[in-house]
Amino acid sequence: MLILNSHDLLWGSSLIVMFKSNNIVSRIFERQIYTPAPSTSVNCVRQFYENLVPNCTIYNVDCPDHSFRKFTDDGRYLISFSKNYQDLIVYRPMWLSFSCNQEDCDSHDLPSKAKRFDHFFTQLYCMPLASNNEFICKDFFLYMESNQFGIFASQTAQVYDAPATGGAVLGVPSIEKITFHLVRLSDGVVLDEKVYCNDFVNLAHSMGVFLYDDLLAIMSLRYQTIHVLQIRESGYLVDVRAIGPYCREDDELFFYSHAQHMVMQGKSKQVEFPLDQGGTGLQRNQSQETSFLSGMKQRLLSFIFRGLWNEERNRTLRVQCLKKKFHFHFQDYVDLIMWKVQFLDRYHLLIKFGSVDGGVSRNTDQQSAFLAVYNIEATEVIAFYQNSAEEIFQLFEQFCDHFHANSRNLSYMNFITSHSNNIHALEQLKSAQSKASSFSQFVKKTMAALPFCCQSRSPSPYFDQSLFRFDEKLISATDGHRQCTEHPIKFISRRHPNILKFKIKPGLEVGGADVQTKKISTFLFHPFLPLALSIQHTLLQPPVINIHFRR
Amino acid sequence: MSISGGSGGAGGGSVGRGMSWCSTTSVSSSGKRIQKEMSEFGAYPPEDCSAGPKGDNLYQWIAAIIGPSGSPYEGAIFFLDITFPTDYPFKPPKVMFKTRIYHCNVDLDGNISLDILKDSWRPTLTISKVLVAIKSMFTEPDPYNPAVPNVAYLYLEDRAKHDKIASEWTMRFAT
Repeated sequence: MLILNSHDLLWGSSLIVMFKSNNIVSRIFERQIYTPAPSTSVNCVRQFYENLVPNCTIYNVDCPDHSFRKFTDDGRYLISFSKNYQDLIVYRPMWLSFSCNQEDCDSHDLPSKAKRFDHFFTQLYCMPLASNNEFICKDFFLYMESNQFGIFASQTAQVYDAPATGGAVLGVPSIEKITFHLVRLSDGVVLDEKVYCNDFVNLAHSMGVFLYDDLLAIMSLRYQTIHVLQIRESGYLVDVRAIGPYCREDDELFFYSHAQHMVMQGKSKQVEFPLDQGGTGLQRNQSQETSFLSGMKQRLLSFIFRGLWNEERNRTLRVQCLKKKFHFHFQDYVDLIMWKVQFLDRYHLLIKFGSVDGGVSRNTDQQSAFLAVYNIEATEVIAFYQNSAEEIFQLFEQFCDHFHANSRNLSYMNFITSHSNNIHALEQLKSAQSKASSFSQFVKKTMAALPFCCQSRSPSPYFDQSLFRFDEKLISATDGHRQCTEHPIKFISRRHPNILKFKIKPGLEVGGADVQTKKISTFLFHPFLPLALSIQHTLLQPPVINIHFRR
Repeated sequence: MSISGGSGGAGGGSVGRGMSWCSTTSVSSSGKRIQKEMSEFGAYPPEDCSAGPKGDNLYQWIAAIIGPSGSPYEGAIFFLDITFPTDYPFKPPKVMFKTRIYHCNVDLDGNISLDILKDSWRPTLTISKVLVAIKSMFTEPDPYNPAVPNVAYLYLEDRAKHDKIASEWTMRFAT
């Protein structure tokens, strides 16, 4: 007897009828004779993942000493870096193959030859990417699925007490040289590079960079500029916009050509045209010590001003309201800096503003911050919220998937669980909300996720919360390190809450005696195959890498 | 030091910006005067203008003027920095554009050449009147008292071209 829960009803009851059995053979037969409810066929097919799970583990596999980054979202490549962070090493995931010449093969243990890394992954190439004093940023990798291009970054060491020259923001560290590499992943050829000097881009978890289709937004924290680049099919990185001091692409050119004309004959003052025509991405205005508002700030402030102006019709009351809400806080708004950016679609950016110290620090949960939606073409701010505003929280709660601007080429990217498409995730959010002591603090904490980090979630079906239930503290679809316990992580069937489908255990098969030592794990799941790597780091010890797969 | 008004204290304390200190009495009286102007401005604000102190400092104001319709500055919002000297109202306030503008009476740094902000300043003038004067400057520039002679020349010689450039500046830098 099958018990229906509200979620199942949501997907339509015919689907429930479809899979009465957990037996894969009868499921295939049922699939032949039933038609799923309209537009639920993919959901239906995905239920087969309940039967195909990575339930077999090869512990502490003998594998090259690399830093493994991730599987590309199309599952074609496994990206890794050499331990000195100078080389890029790319693997092709393969399926384990070996033959067994005895009867009843399933009961035999895997032959020791099959328990090797190179049975699962074939190295395609090893390419030097960084040189001299540059290192590959191990946390940064973006994948352009349509062209199979990879974007990598390398940088020199960080200088913390950098002087704020040439319009740079004081208090933001500086990096002498940041290089973005556009790599064709099929053969490892570096197609183009983009260099930013004496700048700061937050590359941890790809925070400062966002890829949408062929558009790349790079957030220069130090110069408060969003560089929008286009990745051409031919493999070139082309500057499209630099949003910050100016908004339109030719604003700076326009201003300086007019400014030059304005002071001609007057000779009272020299206006130097600061654009570096070489186009190496090093254009820096050395004479930016003006008191004028930047293009972005002018737009932001006039948006706030207009909003308050139109709110009140009575002239006297309006001026009173503006005095309190606008003029009094004017300098605070001017002092805000852009922290993080993401695309919402090709024309709209979601930009987070905050104070200088919050832009670089990691823990920004409880800081005051603002979110703005900016239209690149119209050069207009179209929405502005404080991070504790109920309105933005409600938008986030109901339309979370609109904030995840994913590549739409791969259909399974649309099935990544969020609280807007999955009732269990929504329940979790609601329960966290009810536990929170103050609503506005809770909103702030939740809003800390916005703007989203690009390509930070694994599309693996094993993280689909309509199929499996697991402890999100130990493992989740979101990129990153997790605290590790000695117990295996259980994946339990969502439809049959008593059935354990599989376990993932990072680290050694028999847990070490040193329970005290802090262990950190990273999980790399293949986007659609029952294949995963778990990497467990212990201080001062080599990492333990396990391969989890379906036998 | 006796300072009148709630926010006058912070204002008097952080006056500076290269200005010489005057006697405490004058700081206090300038504070009183600015307070008074603030309440008058609140009661009878000039059309399409808004102004108020920036934070707690009574001597540092921010003003906003909406570009008048019919001018090439239509629909734009111009922000201005206003700094009151400690011997206000005996010395004029310092007013600067924080928004770029193409105008023959505003130079490339945002300084305004307006006679009432310089030699024709009288203590009977108020910030309200200054803002009205700046607003009328949008519709009627004074090319005979220019900050940027080339713009004034264009204004007199080819008004249509001047207006076209001015409205393009407005569209690019002041919206």
